[in-house]
Amino acid sequence: MTIVPTAASVVLADIRKSFGSLEVIHGIDLSVTEGEFVVFVGPSGCGKSTLLRMIAGLEEVTEGEITIKGRDVTDLDPSERGIAMVFQSYALYPHMSVRENLAFSLKMSRTSVAEIDRRVAQASAVLKIDHLLDRRPGQLSGGQRQRVAIGRAIVRKPDVFLFDEPLSNLDAELRVSMRIELARLHRELGNTMIYVTHDQTEAMTLADRIVILRDGRIEQVGTPRQIYEDPANTFVAGFIGSPRMNLLRGRWVGPGRVRVSGVEIDVPLSVAAPPEGSEVEYGIRPEHVEIDRNARSGMPATVEFSEYLGGTRYIYTRLTDGQNLTVEDRTDIAIENGQSISLSRHAGKSLAFDGNGGRIR
Amino acid sequence: MTMRSKRRARRAFWIGIAYNGIGLGTAFFFLAPFFVGILASFRPSAESGRPPLPPWPLTGFSFDAYRTLDGFGAGIWQHTINSLIVSLGTVVLTVVVSVLAGYGFSRYRFPLKNVLFVLIIATLMIPFQSILTPLFIILAKLGLNNSLFGLMLIYVTLQLPFSVFMMRNAFDAVPKEIEEAARIDGARDIKLLARVLLPLVMPGVSTVSIFAFLNAWNEFLAALVLLSSNGNYTLPVLMTAVRAGRLGAIDWGAVQAGVTVMIIPCLFVFLLLQRYYMRGLMAGAVK
Repeated sequence: MTIVPTAASVVLADIRKSFGSLEVIHGIDLSVTEGEFVVFVGPSGCGKSTLLRMIAGLEEVTEGEITIKGRDVTDLDPSERGIAMVFQSYALYPHMSVRENLAFSLKMSRTSVAEIDRRVAQASAVLKIDHLLDRRPGQLSGGQRQRVAIGRAIVRKPDVFLFDEPLSNLDAELRVSMRIELARLHRELGNTMIYVTHDQTEAMTLADRIVILRDGRIEQVGTPRQIYEDPANTFVAGFIGSPRMNLLRGRWVGPGRVRVSGVEIDVPLSVAAPPEGSEVEYGIRPEHVEIDRNARSGMPATVEFSEYLGGTRYIYTRLTDGQNLTVEDRTDIAIENGQSISLSRHAGKSLAFDGNGGRIR
Repeated sequence: MTMRSKRRARRAFWIGIAYNGIGLGTAFFFLAPFFVGILASFRPSAESGRPPLPPWPLTGFSFDAYRTLDGFGAGIWQHTINSLIVSLGTVVLTVVVSVLAGYGFSRYRFPLKNVLFVLIIATLMIPFQSILTPLFIILAKLGLNNSLFGLMLIYVTLQLPFSVFMMRNAFDAVPKEIEEAARIDGARDIKLLARVLLPLVMPGVSTVSIFAFLNAWNEFLAALVLLSSNGNYTLPVLMTAVRAGRLGAIDWGAVQAGVTVMIIPCLFVFLLLQRYYMRGLMAGAVK
């Protein structure tokens, strides 16, 4: 097998952004590989949109350097960076037909009429909007408008596509179908794409790599699987996954052993173990907890209430020390509110975090 | 047909009558002055002193009043052209300045922006009659007294506060993303303004134009004070001159003819621009 060297498409080097004296982005370093689909995700106000807008050139970079395809674009005009952006609100030109919307950037760059026609035809075929070319944005549905907005990005043949929460304005059903559409588009075009969202489902399903941001800092970068199964800290652990990972207060009682709610639990043994007796947090995902039918060695808990969702059931329980634990249950054991049950855990799925929320590995 | 649906049909009939009746009545009150004025302008001069009702000429239509009007001053055409030059010039200058200023106030950040904006708006509180003397002196110093261009500058000055306010609001209503999308698409500065933003603020531009035109077209006092030669008079000034007939009697026929002539361009401008009042132009841009 030969190793194909993959070129870096977008490189952010110690990017900082201040509004007045307030710094909102605190030195971001990131390298995006050619053809990669990278998703920025984080709670609102984490700086993900600001970061995207800095890559687009709509927001000035206070400090640091942005390189796209080896070219320093930090101080270039948005139109000269080889990027195209799709906005949450579509931002179509309402006074132009769909065709004119698609052709606008090409007209601005003085592309020949034949070439414009060719590219518009190509993009509208890919997005299946060829029958809408003579309509105005006002006559289109939300999903169609979103396609036009994407089409406007495609015709520019950019090195990098930037998406700023493009699906947030669509209803739930349309969002799912557009998500699949976007994944298809990425496969077909093969461009580098950077996508901002606060929706973790979009992040998990679309991304090659996820960048989790909080308060203007990167918390973790990794594939969806890495992020989900091997979170770097309690923030990432709690942010990705629904219902959230159970994070329980506990005490480190020995190498690879944590005491939670009176029960000692094995956690994967760590290299840098915290001192014995120190406070730690124990994390386990709801689907890795099971109701123990025999009620022997498990962790005792009381059922508070449960939600039935068809295929699964979420059982919200309270442990003996008052902490809450959610169980994703796929069995059909009869459960009543207030019932005492015993919980067991999948071996090897337990995580431990130190007092600052950092992962103990 | 059941009893109930019959009753409902009868009810709908009477509501229709009332609805259309009120509409017709209102329309009558709006249109009657036009008819009275236009019909009265066709009375022969012997009849022009008669009471206004009935408004139509009793002894046959005549163009006496229009002939009087044309024989007056430098001729009606010259005065109409004066008025048109001043009014259209006012419109063009006002629109250019207020579009640029409105865009600047809406989109750029600069020191004392709000203070400056409030100052501009505050000038609306100054009655323009009170600054007529200083204006007269300034124009004289600039060598612009008794010139149509000087008058135009005064009208533009008076029109600007409202127009800048109007255009700032119009630009504020344009979503920022559209501008950003255009910047990514490679439109900058004047191109961005002309190709993307101007079509979106067209309702504002047409409002500003209509106001500028009507105010400049009808303005009397400044024109009377600033213009001194007969050949430069605009229509409102001509109208007062025409009014005075022989021995202090008022020549109502000529007045009505003048009014009729003055209405035409206003109607024309309004009909031309009102289609830009299209609602929902912004629909489909965002969301």
